Amino acid sequence: MFYRLSGVYHTRYSATRQLWPIPADRWQIGAVAVLALAAPLYMSDLYLSSYLLPWLIFSAATLALTLLMGLAGQLHFGFGAVMAIGAYTSIHLARAGVPFELALLAAGLMAALIGCLFGAAALRVKGLYLVMATLAMQFLVDWVIVNVNAISGGAVATLQTPQVSYLFVPVASLTARYYLALLWAAIVTLLVLNIKRTSFGRALVAVRDKDFAAAVIGVNIFKYKLLAFFTSSFLGGVTGSILAFCFYQAVTPSQFNFDVTIQLVAMALVGGLGSVIGGFLGAGFVLLAPIVLLNLIARMTDAGWLNVSTTLMAHIPLMLYGAMIIGFLLFEPLGLAKIYDNARKYFLVWPFRHTQS
Amino acid sequence: MLACEKVSRWFGGVRALSDVSLDIQQGEIFGLVGPNGSGKTTLVNSITGFYPPQQGTIRFEGHTLNRVRPHRIASLGIARTFQNVALFKGMSVLDNILLGRHTFMHPSALASLFYWWWAEREEVAHRDKVEEIIDLLQLESVRDEPVEVIPLGMQKRVELARALAAEPRMLILDEPMAGMNQEEKEYMVRFVLDAKEALDLTVLLIEHHMDVISAICDRAVVLNNGEVIAQGPVLEAVRHPAVIAAYIGE
Repeated sequence: MFYRLSGVYHTRYSATRQLWPIPADRWQIGAVAVLALAAPLYMSDLYLSSYLLPWLIFSAATLALTLLMGLAGQLHFGFGAVMAIGAYTSIHLARAGVPFELALLAAGLMAALIGCLFGAAALRVKGLYLVMATLAMQFLVDWVIVNVNAISGGAVATLQTPQVSYLFVPVASLTARYYLALLWAAIVTLLVLNIKRTSFGRALVAVRDKDFAAAVIGVNIFKYKLLAFFTSSFLGGVTGSILAFCFYQAVTPSQFNFDVTIQLVAMALVGGLGSVIGGFLGAGFVLLAPIVLLNLIARMTDAGWLNVSTTLMAHIPLMLYGAMIIGFLLFEPLGLAKIYDNARKYFLVWPFRHTQS
Repeated sequence: MLACEKVSRWFGGVRALSDVSLDIQQGEIFGLVGPNGSGKTTLVNSITGFYPPQQGTIRFEGHTLNRVRPHRIASLGIARTFQNVALFKGMSVLDNILLGRHTFMHPSALASLFYWWWAEREEVAHRDKVEEIIDLLQLESVRDEPVEVIPLGMQKRVELARALAAEPRMLILDEPMAGMNQEEKEYMVRFVLDAKEALDLTVLLIEHHMDVISAICDRAVVLNNGEVIAQGPVLEAVRHPAVIAAYIGE
């Protein structure tokens, strides 16, 4: 009823290209923003620190990855390594007394430079071969971090993050850490949304879809592939250090190993490649679904509906979670974002049944 | 304006072009015809930098194009369309045409981040230009549709629009009327002529429909097995005995 496309007339080009042309969408975004800003007021510390905080940070990481995999079409299976480079760069700089803002910037730049080095492989190879090249990056970076003591402080060492402040606010209390993560997630979200509606994003998509046609209209394919790696790795690096400083408050090699890479790819795929809302939904699903399922199974066994051993109980959520991912990819290959989009389109024309596309 | 001198290109043992010479004058519609596999598209790919010729030179307004990469050739003022529509699926008609403005825009992630202060003005300015093209080719009704849902005839028109958005001085059309019915064909011819008049273009037209070629071209070159078998004013060229022999046999 209130969710309508009809009756919305724009008279300026800038208005038709705004992020949310439909008023109801803007109300929705406003409500989410208010909820997110007020979260420390109504949410318990446990939920804030162990659900909402990692969700925001991993959403930012997924958006950075989806910029590369979804928009630019360059597969990347070493994004955990990109985040590790950012985390280790910033922690060493912060320990040396560099202001945190600069350390974050340096983390991004370092990750972007090394990411571009491996991304240069994309100039020559595509598809599975690029997967191999980026996978090599993951293992190479992992190996260097674990074996060079100057970086990791030893294979099983944990580096505590030093006390830092961001824009004169100390990043120590949970609230401060939450707001920093929220700020970063908001910046990445706006960036990816804006990239999608400007010439930069169009050029990336052109390179992804038909590189020869992109060249014919003047898009330098090599340059845009590298720019995609640079931008995405920069965001990944900063996200890595935000993850270290705001969530773990420490850095160990295992935080960024191959499992994390696979999780990030799963988040991007389940959410829907190239979609911003999909980045949030995918990260939320991959992070929270196992926990929700575990609680559900635990409740059911407690109530006596299920009789399973404790070892099996630990595995059932993982099995269900795997089945759900396969199910999503089978029934909605475009991911959770498409399911959201279908629902939205349904309400746009409700009570009629036909949608335009 | 565009001159090819003894252009040769071979792939392994296959000689796709041998000693092709032609000279296109400013403001004319130049036809390029020949049976399937005669090297028409290879010639166009040589001009646009995809398959640089191994011998001979291609010159466009004083620039030698032999060693120039495809995306640089676009900014020199040559635009083309493809035989099999090469639009970007998943994007709207509008975004596809906006991509044609790429060489005039300054894309960057920073400009996108500060959209409201930085990129927006550029986007709107180029939208104005794109709307002129949409107006010229009467694409208003499909402006916001995804390209894959509109009919083939429309898609070819969108591709023409994308090429025109780059403000080329030379337009290369690779079989713009392939697979079209009579009505769509007539529309397309009209749009090509309109665009040529309005934007002061020189056109290189590859086409199999001889009625179209002889109706709108000024001059033509006929290729067969990579060699020029006839050239000159269009009616003379297509009625040359060698051309008739190449198409329907002795």
